[in-house]
Amino acid sequence: MATAIAEPTGRAVIEEAHPQSFLRKYLFSTDHKVIAAQFLFYTLFFLMIGGLLAVLMRQQIAWPTEPLTLGGILPETMVAKATDGAYMLPEFYNALVTMHGSVMVFLAIMPMLVGVWANFLIPLQLGAHDMAFPRLNMLSFWTMVPAGILTLASFFVVGGAAGAGWTLYAPLSARPDLTGVEMGQILWLIALVFVGLSSILGSVNYITTVINMRAPGMTWFRMPLTVWALFITAILGLLAMPVLSAAGIMLIFDQTIGTSFFIPSNAAGDALSGQPLLWQHLFWFFGHPEVYILILPAMGFTSEILAVGSRKPVFGYKAMVWALISIAFLGFIVWGHHMFQSGMNPALGLAFTVSTLFIAVPSAIKTFNWMGTMWRGNLQLHSAMLFAVGFVAMFAIGGLSGVFMASTPVDIYIHDTYFIVAHIHYVLFGGSLFALFGAIYFWFPKMFGRMMNETLGKIHFWLTLVLFNVVFFPMHGVGMAGMMRRIYDWTGYQHLEGIGATNQIITIAAVGLFASGFLFAFNFFWSIWKGEKAPDNPWGASTLEWSVPSPPKHGNWSEIPVVYHGPHEYSHPDVTDKDWLGQNERPDVVTPAAGSH
Amino acid sequence: MRFDYRSRVAAALLTGVLYAACGGSDGGDADAGNGESGGEAAAEVAAIDPSTVGTISGTINFSGDAPAMEAIDMSAEPDCAAGFGDEGPMMQSVVVNGGGLANVFVYLSAGVMDAPAPYGAATLDQTNCRYAPHVMGVQAGQTIEITNSDNLLHNINATPTENRGFNISQPRAGITSRQSFAVAEVMVPLRCDVHGWMEAFVGVVDHPYFGVSGDGGMFTISNVPAGTYTMTAWHEQYGTMGMEVTVTAGETTMADFDHTGLQMAGHLVGEPLVIHHGSDEVVFNRAQQ
Repeated sequence: MATAIAEPTGRAVIEEAHPQSFLRKYLFSTDHKVIAAQFLFYTLFFLMIGGLLAVLMRQQIAWPTEPLTLGGILPETMVAKATDGAYMLPEFYNALVTMHGSVMVFLAIMPMLVGVWANFLIPLQLGAHDMAFPRLNMLSFWTMVPAGILTLASFFVVGGAAGAGWTLYAPLSARPDLTGVEMGQILWLIALVFVGLSSILGSVNYITTVINMRAPGMTWFRMPLTVWALFITAILGLLAMPVLSAAGIMLIFDQTIGTSFFIPSNAAGDALSGQPLLWQHLFWFFGHPEVYILILPAMGFTSEILAVGSRKPVFGYKAMVWALISIAFLGFIVWGHHMFQSGMNPALGLAFTVSTLFIAVPSAIKTFNWMGTMWRGNLQLHSAMLFAVGFVAMFAIGGLSGVFMASTPVDIYIHDTYFIVAHIHYVLFGGSLFALFGAIYFWFPKMFGRMMNETLGKIHFWLTLVLFNVVFFPMHGVGMAGMMRRIYDWTGYQHLEGIGATNQIITIAAVGLFASGFLFAFNFFWSIWKGEKAPDNPWGASTLEWSVPSPPKHGNWSEIPVVYHGPHEYSHPDVTDKDWLGQNERPDVVTPAAGSH
Repeated sequence: MRFDYRSRVAAALLTGVLYAACGGSDGGDADAGNGESGGEAAAEVAAIDPSTVGTISGTINFSGDAPAMEAIDMSAEPDCAAGFGDEGPMMQSVVVNGGGLANVFVYLSAGVMDAPAPYGAATLDQTNCRYAPHVMGVQAGQTIEITNSDNLLHNINATPTENRGFNISQPRAGITSRQSFAVAEVMVPLRCDVHGWMEAFVGVVDHPYFGVSGDGGMFTISNVPAGTYTMTAWHEQYGTMGMEVTVTAGETTMADFDHTGLQMAGHLVGEPLVIHHGSDEVVFNRAQQ
């Protein structure tokens, strides 16, 4: 009898059909998983840069009249060298404040939330081979590369890096004579345009993929909450980023070719036609949706991880989806609450106050549903779960302090103080970054095929949780005491005389928090090569990505899966051999529970 | 297609590198200002043959009624205010002593054929919350060492029209920054935004043939090659005056300017000076300086 030679099928077909050079496989790849990994390494690098800038800044705040530790190694554009040491220059401090915020928002957190996880998870969780536009996807990463190079280069040009704050308020950002920064500001604006291009390219891809490439049976309300969050975030990005990009280009024109979109008068005092308020409106029309771009994906990850870690379905799945949609919609009509102090008709201020307070409703729905998800669950307190729980707690604090600021009379008092700094960090660090750490611990096995070390992960979590709160909770207090958010040397102000010790404690904790990041980095890189090999589904999770090998091969699926169930089927009463039901498990092969029909 | 994509990526990378490079090249001015080049880079000043050069010396005479200078309110900075006598700190825009007008920048504005490279550094101090000197001259490309002798924060905001400006800070005493201006410009104003009364003027010229009148109005310009020149005197309130001067080798040429005190006008930097004398009106544009 002749032996039939099996035709290569499925994944093998994909592998053989696409022999790839090293460059195309790992550098200029169109594979969404490789691009996700590229974004991950990129954003982790800039997370470290952003943290380093923060530590430098904190040293100045804690000891404003003392020389900078190791300041002697910095160039004269950053420090002033005196006989007793090197003192940080105020203009370098301005650059630190500006670039810490800018790097963290645009080069670390946003691309880590979206560039990494939308790329990695959308095709895998929807059952698609790849993104709708793989080459656009590659371009969206590579447009981030010049943005990073320009940002780093800006620290070393004449006048140093941008110093007008991450909000780039004109005319500070538009007139070099006001800050002493010219080329650094222009470089950062060009970088921002690249970031905008990358984000727009990515958003088009994510939206198209979610709408068109869902596997059979993957109805809208069977999509994992992570995909929902990333989908809505992509819509926000597509609508908001072009506004910032256009405004950024206009600001570049003001700096370079003599326009005056935002400049009311030049250095000689001649009146021009520019409107600084126009910049504020354009920036915050982008900026507030940006806040939700930075938190909605984190909410998605948290929902997912909490369900898996609690062994329960997400409490109120549809309410969670509608809450996401509500937050996104409301996010577009609240930008004026950043401008209460800029001069505004009180009636308009009231409208922005009310619309902002409305956001508390869907936010509360989500928070209570997360608690409902955990309630009486079989909690698995692994590192990812710890960070997800930490997210809920920290986001609640950040959300509540946000309600303070939504109220105009309160905001007038705390405007531009450290209270604002505390709030934004409870949302962006306690919120977004906690969820991101959770996401990395959770999906690392799928991405790299290895497990991260749990002990190190838990130490990292507790250090982060404790130190984060020591750093940022007291900032509410120093803010209420009147400490200005961007101040270089507070010692000249009588009303700030009592804040020295608090600031020193904050700084010491901040250094510890930064150092704890290296523990994470060690665990991350060590685990890539030396971590325990990961099974396909180490967490017992039900979404589609866990039904393929770790890591998935090029093309993900040999055959597109068929989806039969919702995304978070844990402790399902119809199965007995395990406590979860995969989305693509056929109902007729599921082991029924005793007594069930 | 693969090549096409690589080209696009390479183009994107190249763009970034070029932008960075642009920033780097624009940094030339500041590098010079940091003492990497400019005056200090010249190891030795060229030897001067005394048989070919002369000296210009003169006085800025002031014959009118000198306006009373306003007192500066330095109560916000008591350490600075303590550095002055009982009468306290006064503005420095018109300083007349013994009939001579101080703080006048005098320079050869035409006729200089050749000039040595800048040598050494000029110094500008901030002491008792005032610039010292109030008016100074430098050669284009020459390093200016700006020092803070006050133990408090000053910023130095230079707003030239022809050169790259700078706005730097010096948070405490003992700090020295180095800057320079690449091209000639008379005058470049400097100010401290923290202390609104602090103002200084730097005359930037292509050669070393300039001086500033001191207390009593006297000035001297040394080592001027023999020849005929146009000499201009600039004052922050009285504008510019010019005269032709011939320098003879080995001799001192006397050249006095006479201010009547009637030439009062607004601030001169960046705007034309309009002098009214009876029914006559004389306009001095910056281009004439």
